[in-house]
Amino acid sequence: MIISSAQENNETAQCPHNHNISCGNCRLGSICLPLALGSDEVIKLDEIVQRGKPLQKNEHLYRDGDEFISVYAVRSGTVKAYKITGDGQEQVTGFYFPGEIIGMDGIGMGKYTNSAKALETSAVCEIPFHRLEELSILIPSMQRHFFQLMSQEITTDQQLITLLSKNSAEERVAALLLSISARNARRKLSETSFRLPMSRTDIGNFLGLTVETVSRVISRFNKQGLIAVDSKEVSLLDLPALKAIANVKVDS
Amino acid sequence: MNFVSKTAEDQCWDKQLISKYDIAGPRYTSYPTAPQFNSDFSSRDYQGEVTGAMRDSITPLSLYVHIPFCENICYYCACNKIVTTDHSVSRRYLDHLATEMQLQSKLLGKRRKVSQLHLGGGTPTFFDAAELTELVHLLASNFNLSDDPGREYSIEIDPRTVNEGSLALLKGLGFNRLSLGIQDFDEQVQVAINRRQRLPMVQSLTNAARNYGFKSISFDLIYGLPMQSPASLSRTLEQLVQLSPDRIAYYNYAHLPERFTSQRAIARQQLPSAAEKIDMLELIARSLKNAGYRHIGMDHFAKPEDDLSIAQSRGTLRRNFQGYSTCLAPDLIGFGVSAISSLRNSFSQNEKELSSYYEKLDGGELAIAKGLRLTPDDHIRSAVISQIICNLQLSIELIEQEFAIVFPEYFARELVALRAMESDGLVRWESATLVVTERGRIMLRNICMCFDKYQQQPSATVFSKSL
Repeated sequence: MIISSAQENNETAQCPHNHNISCGNCRLGSICLPLALGSDEVIKLDEIVQRGKPLQKNEHLYRDGDEFISVYAVRSGTVKAYKITGDGQEQVTGFYFPGEIIGMDGIGMGKYTNSAKALETSAVCEIPFHRLEELSILIPSMQRHFFQLMSQEITTDQQLITLLSKNSAEERVAALLLSISARNARRKLSETSFRLPMSRTDIGNFLGLTVETVSRVISRFNKQGLIAVDSKEVSLLDLPALKAIANVKVDS
Repeated sequence: MNFVSKTAEDQCWDKQLISKYDIAGPRYTSYPTAPQFNSDFSSRDYQGEVTGAMRDSITPLSLYVHIPFCENICYYCACNKIVTTDHSVSRRYLDHLATEMQLQSKLLGKRRKVSQLHLGGGTPTFFDAAELTELVHLLASNFNLSDDPGREYSIEIDPRTVNEGSLALLKGLGFNRLSLGIQDFDEQVQVAINRRQRLPMVQSLTNAARNYGFKSISFDLIYGLPMQSPASLSRTLEQLVQLSPDRIAYYNYAHLPERFTSQRAIARQQLPSAAEKIDMLELIARSLKNAGYRHIGMDHFAKPEDDLSIAQSRGTLRRNFQGYSTCLAPDLIGFGVSAISSLRNSFSQNEKELSSYYEKLDGGELAIAKGLRLTPDDHIRSAVISQIICNLQLSIELIEQEFAIVFPEYFARELVALRAMESDGLVRWESATLVVTERGRIMLRNICMCFDKYQQQPSATVFSKSL
């Protein structure tokens, strides 16, 4: 339960939208940038991280073509990345959940190659890239860890993109569910039970399927007892069967 | 013995003729070739070249990055490399690459689009995922990398150092071409060259590369290796054709143990004989032709639908230190130890020793050890040789127009030398165009050598044999 666990199970002081939170006491510290750092070093990292007001639904973090300045860590909510295709259509390129870093697509080109906007109220930590580089000189393990995170991100993105471009509707939907499940597991959240914060339209767009197809596949999975769906709440009842359908390793 | 006249193909394989032309010669990845570079050419000269005529250039750039490290030693190797299992060497090397890129970026500016990028080695994939990501980030922050689908961003892969995840990463980092070091599929040969890599592993990597949509997959192989025989080679060729790479480079192994220490581990008596090597060459050319590959020239083969073949048909193929290219820019900048830069009027090469390379950069200067400024004559001959290698023909008219010379006068001596090749059937004249015949393709080096001024003078340089 990505969102509910973040929003409901925390005390106000630890509210993930709270911009007074620091890297040292952030509950995502174990999967985010502080992972490889000692406590002194986390304080230094904290000094460069900027925490503004939470993004409102549909508010943009950056747009395609903007100069690459910062990467962002999602602290709460969900961020959607998308591109506008040649014929003016929106193409969803990814969904980012708490603890995940977004904006690294800019690193190859010096500018962002996607746009990113909040799917719901979302708090993000902005990490100015040149400051991160400065910090890396002081903390070599930081630099390494950052590029490691980035390479993982690029790898899983590419794996998912490729998978989605090849397979049947069933395989694609199963792959997306498994991807979310695996990412939840990494954040020590439930692997089998979560809320899908994005609309069926966004899911369909991301998977390259029509909304009707997405709904049909989900209700078929539901009927087959592979998943249980209640509005946006999803429980994965038969992980092995879903993995067999997706027929791939979703997360390395 | 039959009395039917020889077919065209048989005539290509006149073994006596092949032996006749089996003499030492360069592969012409540049003209003049690297042995002509001298230490009079300094980083100041290089800077003069860049800041002079090129200052406001908006033409694209080619970039090459050399990563010298290898985990294991392959006995046949003649590359500039450092064998180590200590991966902590990467950090220091990356830091110096960063310094070098910043210095070059200051000179060249960040405006020019990078149409071609190549990572070579050594073993580029000695770098792990994080290091490769950092390297691409360094390149992107100092130069204008492109996401144009027509770009040519390639990397040499040692199949033993990667998995499917690494290929996904490389694709995500913007690479669109892969070159896999295969050498040979035969196990005995692999043992003899100290490079074990099983066929199923290469198979699954090739499938994964296709799955990730790499535009062109190239395999590098070698003939003339220890324990290789025409019989073992024909099995390798069968497996190769089944894997169906888009491009194949089949190099000739040159055994020069006095120059390359790692080759001293190869026993001379395990090497195939000269006659066997000619059989192998024939086998390679015939098998690949039957499998539908086009012989591009200079050890390279490509499927007819591959960009390399298309570029050759259109006359737009180019050649540089990494082989053939479809979008080579007029200036190539090399980074890393021993890397060569090729500007429109000069060549320069970095220090070959890691310690000297580091030392110069630590002192805040480029690590250039030697180079050469092209003379007007070098330019003419370079254009001639490039036309022959890339287009397999030479238009006298084009050269005369471009350089305002009278070809038969300028190249009187060379035209005499060509006559012997003409009567041997390596070249023929179609009005004012010199055409390389099918038979001449395997002897391209020899044809080019006719036009190489430095080959006409006695030289002590040892080149590997041309076939």
